[in-house]
Amino acid sequence: MASFINRHADSRVMRSLKACRWSGASPSPVVTWGLLMILLAAIALLSLLFGAGDVGPGRAWQALSDFDAAAMHDSEAHFVIGELRLPRLGIGLVVGIALGIAGALLQAVTRNPLAEPGLLGVSAGSAFAVTLAILWGADAATLRISVAQLGALGGCLCVLAAARLQGIGNDPVRLILAGAILSGLLHSLSSLILLFDQYTADEIRFWVVGSLAGRDATDLMPLAPSLALAALLTVILARPLAALALGEHVAIGLGHHPRVVRLLVIVVVALLVGGATAIAGPVTFVGLVVPFAARALAGPDIRRTLWFCLPLGPIVVVSADIVSRLVVPPSELPLGVITALIGAPVLIAVVRRRRLPML
Amino acid sequence: MTSLRRFCMTATGIAALSATLPASATTLETAFGSVEVDDDPSRVVTLYTGALDTALTTGMTPLGAVATRGGDGVPAYLSDATGDISIVGTPRETNIEAVAALKPDLILASPQLSESQYQLLSRIAPTVVPDVTPYQMDSWEQEAQVYGKALGQLDAVNEAIDEVDAQTQAIREDVADSPTASLIRWMPQGAIVMAPQIFSNTLLARSGFTVDDGDTVKEGRPHSDPLSLENLSKIDNDWLFLATLNAEGDEAYQAAKQSPAFDRLDVVQQDHVISVSGQLWTSASGPMAAQAILDDIDTAMHEMK
Repeated sequence: MASFINRHADSRVMRSLKACRWSGASPSPVVTWGLLMILLAAIALLSLLFGAGDVGPGRAWQALSDFDAAAMHDSEAHFVIGELRLPRLGIGLVVGIALGIAGALLQAVTRNPLAEPGLLGVSAGSAFAVTLAILWGADAATLRISVAQLGALGGCLCVLAAARLQGIGNDPVRLILAGAILSGLLHSLSSLILLFDQYTADEIRFWVVGSLAGRDATDLMPLAPSLALAALLTVILARPLAALALGEHVAIGLGHHPRVVRLLVIVVVALLVGGATAIAGPVTFVGLVVPFAARALAGPDIRRTLWFCLPLGPIVVVSADIVSRLVVPPSELPLGVITALIGAPVLIAVVRRRRLPML
Repeated sequence: MTSLRRFCMTATGIAALSATLPASATTLETAFGSVEVDDDPSRVVTLYTGALDTALTTGMTPLGAVATRGGDGVPAYLSDATGDISIVGTPRETNIEAVAALKPDLILASPQLSESQYQLLSRIAPTVVPDVTPYQMDSWEQEAQVYGKALGQLDAVNEAIDEVDAQTQAIREDVADSPTASLIRWMPQGAIVMAPQIFSNTLLARSGFTVDDGDTVKEGRPHSDPLSLENLSKIDNDWLFLATLNAEGDEAYQAAKQSPAFDRLDVVQQDHVISVSGQLWTSASGPMAAQAILDDIDTAMHEMK
């Protein structure tokens, strides 16, 4: 198979192969990945140690060292770690993985390094759908998930349609502009509903900012089936997507169906972004920063990028969440604010590069 | 030339208007200088819930008022008294044209009205903006007295204030050992703690409670501040007043209980949580509001005993 690709190599393939070799010069990807997993474990530990409240790192460490005993002699620390910080960490891990993978997939399928679910209106679509659902009286968390995923799918299809428009599809920045307009439109529609229906406003106001605080860990359970489906599809789609990166003709030559692949990828992105949005609210820029870092570490092959998104997504989300707790005690900043602060410079860095890399 | 003529006509018009002013006019000191108001105004527009409340206290029903924060009508506790009143804006934004259409002879506005708004409104009718420092223990009384004077009904206002005093005294006798209390609004990521200086909290203080915001509301943020879940124990006082803007009070309490961090508070375990209307407790002011809030406190204290 490799010889086949080499013989039919066009310049794009040569470039990607060179990039692979370049990344091989630094420590092997397996080592880098292992280091990232260790970093993630350390950040997860930090997220249990630090919070906006009185349970500081020292006290939390003592409680963690013998967690069962802490229930007796330091019930406050036991509660704060077990009932507040641990569920939050769990939700952070899931949201981070979902948004990171979704970003990488969306970038691969639109061949645009700037394609980010938050920037392209996928999150806004999902938020709008949830606003509508709450307006019509749905408050069950389970319904919210499927509604958010449907909304995200709508947003994705709009993105795909825009990407296929002549001109926009070839210019990454113009696609982002189209997405920004879609986002703006959906946001203003959501605000319009909130303006007219104050009951909905109360229900949803806390949710639209994007945060991991106060979310119930049991909300993760109804999310499990769709996330499992998304994971399975991602595993199946990784190889065809990698082939698609070599060009449509190569992919067809290798026996893949580009249209089916694209459609399925969009479904996966909708499942992931909708799920993450349903539980944490719209969190932007994670889907941009994570694949960007993953490609820098792993090279352009989508399969490796996806592997690296697994630790990188939660690293970004959980560390942003730690920052959000520490900056304005005794209250907290919304997570979305911190991710935007991290993400905006990355966006500018990508755009400012002399030549935007086409994926 | 045309503009000059128009100017002359307007000037004559204004002169004619001031000539027809009745001799019985009162001069009021307001935030924007002396304002002359009719002794017996009949077409009044209020642009602040405190002013609407005071007008209704004196038995006068204004023609127009602004909606309560987060609602599309006057606050629920006043809606029986106002009947079918014109809504001329929200607390944030007044619809100047709607005000003008009512042809008022007196406009009662909030102490925080901006100068530019004042310039517009005072061209429609004499506009009274009380020169009162907000967020003091007696801000609402001073405001009510200014509005009372403007309406020529100062006695009625003072009477209502005396009633409020009597009510606080009665509760004070019921409430022993100055228990601690906080007033919050609930959201799933934590509480919003209302500052001790806001209207309803000053009434709690007068009724013998020690209002405790857990030192969460920072200086320069006189209204409220959010508090994260990890810090909820800062408001674990003897009593917790839970204000909700729209949802039914008890529903909001049950929703808050879903949060383990809220449910484990001692005050919740003892069921010393009192659901109150946010329209009344966190957005209103005035003598009628004071009486309604004190009624809430009184009822709660008797029920809990």
